[in-house]
Amino acid sequence: MLGIRYIPLLFKQVSRQRARTLLTVLGVATAMFLFISVQALEQGVTAATVATGKETTLVVYRQNRFCPFASRLPESYTARVGRIEGVASVVPMKIVVTNCGASLDVVTFRGVPSENYDVVAAKFTFLSGSMAEWQRRSDGAILGEDLANRRRLKVGDTLVAAGITAYVAAVIRSDEAQDQNVAYVGLKFLQNAAVRGGDGIVTQFNVKVHDPAHLERVAAAIDEEFRHDPEPTDTRPEKAFVARAAHDLVQIVGFTRYLGWAALATVLALVSNAIVLSVQDRVKEHAILQTLGFRGGLIARLIMAEGVLLGVTGGVLGSVAAFAVVYFGKFSLSVEGTTVGVHGDPSLLLLGLALSAGVGVVAGLVPALQASRREIAASFRAV
Amino acid sequence: MALIECRALTRKYTRGESIITPLDGLDLDVEAGDFLALMGPSGSGKTTLLNLIAGIDRPSAGTLRIGGTEIGTLSRGRLADWRSESVGYIFQLYNLVPVLTAYENIELPLLLHPLSRRQRHEKVATALALVGIADRSGHYPRQLSGGQEQRVAIARAIVTDPGILVADEPTGDLDRASAAAIMDLLKQLNSELGKTIIMVTHDPKSADHARRTLHLEKGRLIEQTTAAAH
Repeated sequence: MLGIRYIPLLFKQVSRQRARTLLTVLGVATAMFLFISVQALEQGVTAATVATGKETTLVVYRQNRFCPFASRLPESYTARVGRIEGVASVVPMKIVVTNCGASLDVVTFRGVPSENYDVVAAKFTFLSGSMAEWQRRSDGAILGEDLANRRRLKVGDTLVAAGITAYVAAVIRSDEAQDQNVAYVGLKFLQNAAVRGGDGIVTQFNVKVHDPAHLERVAAAIDEEFRHDPEPTDTRPEKAFVARAAHDLVQIVGFTRYLGWAALATVLALVSNAIVLSVQDRVKEHAILQTLGFRGGLIARLIMAEGVLLGVTGGVLGSVAAFAVVYFGKFSLSVEGTTVGVHGDPSLLLLGLALSAGVGVVAGLVPALQASRREIAASFRAV
Repeated sequence: MALIECRALTRKYTRGESIITPLDGLDLDVEAGDFLALMGPSGSGKTTLLNLIAGIDRPSAGTLRIGGTEIGTLSRGRLADWRSESVGYIFQLYNLVPVLTAYENIELPLLLHPLSRRQRHEKVATALALVGIADRSGHYPRQLSGGQEQRVAIARAIVTDPGILVADEPTGDLDRASAAAIMDLLKQLNSELGKTIIMVTHDPKSADHARRTLHLEKGRLIEQTTAAAH
């Protein structure tokens, strides 16, 4: 630790080469921006695809189909699924997307029957508009907050996408990334409006089970029920379904992890370079401080504190900027009708701060030890 | 017992394949309150002796006792503490920290002591007044003349009230008038505050201010003169 009385000295030392300090801080900020952005992406993927053991939702899809355009199941399956032991509710759902591939701006329509409105909306917080308004209009749509913000839509506006025109009846907030980025409309409306699939055909069933522990058993029972039907099913827990649908996306995000670590290595190199140059410039000055009675350990701590100050300053700038962009940008990646939200968790700020401080310590360690062990008389002779 | 006792004091350096011996078996006693000038040609061992007494270099052989402490055997940390408490160093080229003001430069050694901000302020103000540059406390070294810089350096050396001051050609970079003023200041510190001063100089006029002058050559003491009337 460094006594508070040394803080003014520390700031004067760091600010003596202003251009170098500024460039170092900017470099660190840029690298930390990249690192935190990658972390946010990873958090989103984890939240969308990694099971916590508390999930109660299953997604029933057409077997061997991987895109909403191709998955076609009879709506009449609803009653048969509902009779399976352990099932709490079944919502037949038609999905229409503007783009089946990965995109930052996919609009996903989910059509649900009017009798299931309450089940679907139970987890929503209405930010504007109302359920009554949605039910009143046959073309009414409930928009997730992120989709509404991204498309700059409010209640009363018209949403036009995938050849479908819907009236914005409400904007909602949900803990689920899937809900934050979709437009819920009536099933009949969507069946009529969509180019493919018509009356009596849905894309999937969202099934709630009573007990999370029975999720796999219920999924197996559903698939067994339809095994010999013309349209067999493939049922998975919702997160596993997203993980399969967004498999390519998950792999890409996994690769970006290396970019994140590379960004961190860049921070280390930048701060190390600044500290090494600074210490080389001040061999004589450190000898003077030692002559005055500064112990080698104190000089080492002063040098490491310079590294921490540079790292934390750049780290805070980069982390806050990345967090702000992620938080206010409301980005999400959609693929095959599923959505992976890019999360802006405040813990990312702490992570950025801790890592930049840690990198500062590591960056200053070697030059600090070298400076602290240098012989005073030899230092004076060397300059 | 003398304040400083050197016995068979030797310092050797290895430079490449050759061994250099700037100080070779020196015996010397310095009493408390003495004002000693070290003279001699370049390479005679003056600065080496000064550095050993200041605790910024270590003897290769022999003993060096200062105030009863054998400083050659102290650990690096203990030696740093000893320097902080016992000795003030005045350099030829002042060696002030350029990014700190005169006040902050003088305050530097006090940061090592358990003093409040107010106590540090009082000590710095006293040192500034003593060396006659209280009106320059907020100036950076680049804004001061050579004489003023050396006064700041002297204030930094005395602010912790050490018993010993070592000065390595303190007037070597100053004009005649500034040099005379600095020497008067050192003499005042010796006579009025009782500081023991060991000064390296090439200038006989500066050496005249000392009570004793030692002449060194090839690391050995060859002559000692004492001022007739001080």
